[in-house]
Amino acid sequence: MFDWKTLIANQNLLWWGLLITLRYTVITAAVGLLIGLAVAMAQLSRSHLLRYAGRAFVEFFRNIPLLVWLLWSYYALPIFLGIDISKEMAGVVALSLYVASYYAEILRAGIQSIDRGQTDASQALGMSHAQAMRRIILPQAVRRMIPPLSGQTIIQMKNTTLLSIITIPDLLYQAGYISSFTYRPMEVYTAVGAAFLLILVPLTYLARRLEAQTAR
Amino acid sequence: MTVAATNEAPLLEMSGLRKTYGGIEVLKGIDLRVRKGEVIALVGSSGSGKTTLLRCVNLLEQPTSGCIKLEGRVFFHRAGNAEQVRLPSAEINKMRSRVGMVFQQFNLFPHMSVLENVMEGPRTVLREPAESNRARAMSLLAKVGLVEFADRRPDNLSGGQKQRVSIARALNMQPVLMLFDEPTSALDPELIGEVLKTMIDLAREGMTMIVVTHELGFALEVADRVVFLDGGLVAADGPPREVLIRPPTERLRAFVNRFHEMAQLMKPLLG
Repeated sequence: MFDWKTLIANQNLLWWGLLITLRYTVITAAVGLLIGLAVAMAQLSRSHLLRYAGRAFVEFFRNIPLLVWLLWSYYALPIFLGIDISKEMAGVVALSLYVASYYAEILRAGIQSIDRGQTDASQALGMSHAQAMRRIILPQAVRRMIPPLSGQTIIQMKNTTLLSIITIPDLLYQAGYISSFTYRPMEVYTAVGAAFLLILVPLTYLARRLEAQTAR
Repeated sequence: MTVAATNEAPLLEMSGLRKTYGGIEVLKGIDLRVRKGEVIALVGSSGSGKTTLLRCVNLLEQPTSGCIKLEGRVFFHRAGNAEQVRLPSAEINKMRSRVGMVFQQFNLFPHMSVLENVMEGPRTVLREPAESNRARAMSLLAKVGLVEFADRRPDNLSGGQKQRVSIARALNMQPVLMLFDEPTSALDPELIGEVLKTMIDLAREGMTMIVVTHELGFALEVADRVVFLDGGLVAADGPPREVLIRPPTERLRAFVNRFHEMAQLMKPLLG
């Protein structure tokens, strides 16, 4: 039934696609985490304006379908901004901002979950806001954030498959391409699914180990 | 417990202190002076504003109006909505670093060992080198009887041990004033003694202390002054024997009677 020779013959395209998928996952997760941290800090700030802006950012990106946002970034954003951006740039911007909104909520909730008494004790010692964050609040909050952050990053890797819609040659795009001339979609998409599982299941396990380690 | 000469400027001076929470006035104009070396017991029924007052001393709560001076220096002043002195936060942090605080719920840092907890203030706030910091931290842990727990995490300690660690943590900043917010209220009865013993030792060494407490026995035997708060006002302020043995008002008398038997429990601890 399965004709695995198709995969062997086109393996270069698949490996290349996998590399692209991983690259977009890592880049958009890293950029998203930085933006997410800034948005979380804005939401926790004393300024009404910053809090409102942070809230608006999160609500916008969490409530727009990613596919719509991605297509809009590719087709409409360049027109609105009057600049020419590559599809790669549109992909990175769209996916980073999208995941940033989820990261921001995880970071904000993690920081807010730390008992108020910890801030009291830090302030009573004479710590500045930044010192209390760095030494007392964040080290405790990060522990609680590891499971939801790794969960969101896994979703992010799966979400990169949407990049194929704007013709970025990720793993899914290559699979579609190979199917189009070999007529063996079953083998090709089975391989793509297996690749995601082979990468993400061990990563989930590692995240759990990391969580258990920091929890002690 | 050695009271300095009366003419010396007070270490802490609060005047006309008011605090309003969402329309409810919790403090209605408090005047309080604390001289160096004095031990003040701040008593009153729940809701009388004593914890709020204590938290105003180091500005963990922002008073609505009033004036606070520490060591002769104004660091908070606000009259109504008019003129206002609020030091830049760096100055407020500096003030806080000179005032130790002990909380009802201990608030130890759970991600650090006992020793790291005690060393954290000087390390982060004063940027003190580890060597002298560690030596002082260890001697403070010895003083509160917890040297052998230095490498443990706070989670593995009893409530009484946690509170003694938090006292050591505050003392390691070498404060001029110590604030205690109901330090024994979260403890099992059999653990209260060890914390009170630590506080009594501290008082006898001459530390200036403001203690919000329900332990009237401690107030009677250790405090130089008892300040009774009632409905956001100072209802009585004087030597413990005057305030607690011959309560000047009916409300205070009712309050004291409820706690009288506790004085007996304190006797053995005072030796």
